[in-house]
Amino acid sequence: MQCDRAHELLGAYRDGELAPEERRAVAGHIGTCRTCSTAVADDERIGRLVKKFGRIAPPPALEPRLRAALDRAEETSLPGKPVETPHLGMDAPKARALAKRVAALAAACLVAVMATWWVMDTTRHAEQIEHDILSAHIRSLLQDSPTQVASSDQHVVRPWFAGRADFAPAVKDLTAEGFALLGGRLDYVADRRVAVVVYKRRLHLINVFMWPSSVAATESLAPATSRNGYNLLIWSRNGVSYCAISDLNAAEMRELQHLL
Amino acid sequence: MTDKARFERLTLPHMDAAYNLASHLLQTRADAEDAVQDAFVRAYRAFHQFEGADIRPWLLTIVRNVCFRRLQERRRADNVVSLDEVSSRSTGAAFEADMASADRSPEQTAIASSDQALLAHAMAELPPVFREVIVLREIEDLSYREIAGVIGTPVGTVMSRLARARTELKAILNRMTNQDDRNAM
Repeated sequence: MQCDRAHELLGAYRDGELAPEERRAVAGHIGTCRTCSTAVADDERIGRLVKKFGRIAPPPALEPRLRAALDRAEETSLPGKPVETPHLGMDAPKARALAKRVAALAAACLVAVMATWWVMDTTRHAEQIEHDILSAHIRSLLQDSPTQVASSDQHVVRPWFAGRADFAPAVKDLTAEGFALLGGRLDYVADRRVAVVVYKRRLHLINVFMWPSSVAATESLAPATSRNGYNLLIWSRNGVSYCAISDLNAAEMRELQHLL
Repeated sequence: MTDKARFERLTLPHMDAAYNLASHLLQTRADAEDAVQDAFVRAYRAFHQFEGADIRPWLLTIVRNVCFRRLQERRRADNVVSLDEVSSRSTGAAFEADMASADRSPEQTAIASSDQALLAHAMAELPPVFREVIVLREIEDLSYREIAGVIGTPVGTVMSRLARARTELKAILNRMTNQDDRNAM
């Protein structure tokens, strides 16, 4: 038997709590190992010390005191009365503590479930927006024209949205920066009407979707995502959510984002 | 024989064991006496639930639970009592003086004092969960299975906890004897 294994079993060996074959193995080891035989002798010595001096005797007054207490207990426990203490040593404070712990656990579970639901719901919502935007983008490419109002003049496009969208979308002529304004249209994303401003860079068409958002943050940025080879960039600013989508590379999309 | 007479006949012989365990766990005479009385009354009320052959482990289980609840309450109370009280209580010095004076002549106290005081101090330094397994095994001679029942753990835990408790107690005793030697020189 290995020394460290035997060492673990020394206590149980001395207490006579080992199975016969284990006991023989440990006994054999102790016969050959000084460390283990010293440890057993030490334990033996301390065991004797505890046995000899460890017991604390009760005062003589304790027994009459217990008898008196039991007399009182007998008087107060009426025959036929259901006996309390459903569990040994479990009384009201302990039960209360347990109830408190159970309540805390239940509350934690509820919070976890709600958080999961919220995250899932938010995720689902974001998923739907991305999905709808991708569909709308592809649809705009399939049609003859991605715009309802075709103009490179922001002073034409912007007023066109008045009365059509329930907010004034940002429309900028960015020809000098390399993003030519093609025009605007309305579309339908995540169960609501949204404004779309269309830009072009080289041969790449960029749809910028805009809708008023409940996001209070003045500027929040999600990392660029990619769906079916199209790059999506979603952000919100001053109570308006933006989503730019294009087959343009993400770096140039970021550039547009900063210009808007 | 009434239930109460039967209960007393079965349990009173184990009053010493009950008081011993309570004293080691609670470390003051008054608390130990209160806890034993509390435990006996509880045991009497739950007597109809007792079905085993040996009442001693059953009784000690109740004593143990009462004591740990008191320790818990004491910990809660310690958050608001003065530091002096806490420190004198935790050193075990007050307890030892308290115990030594109990029903012993001064001569007897003097003879037993050195080893006994050493042990009392060392035991007081052990955490209660180690103290109880040492008491139940070394003094009350309970089997691992019985100890497991009393402290509410698997038998394997009893074995490992007892091993750790013994190692710890040995270390404390060694440290104390070395200190004494140095003080003597």
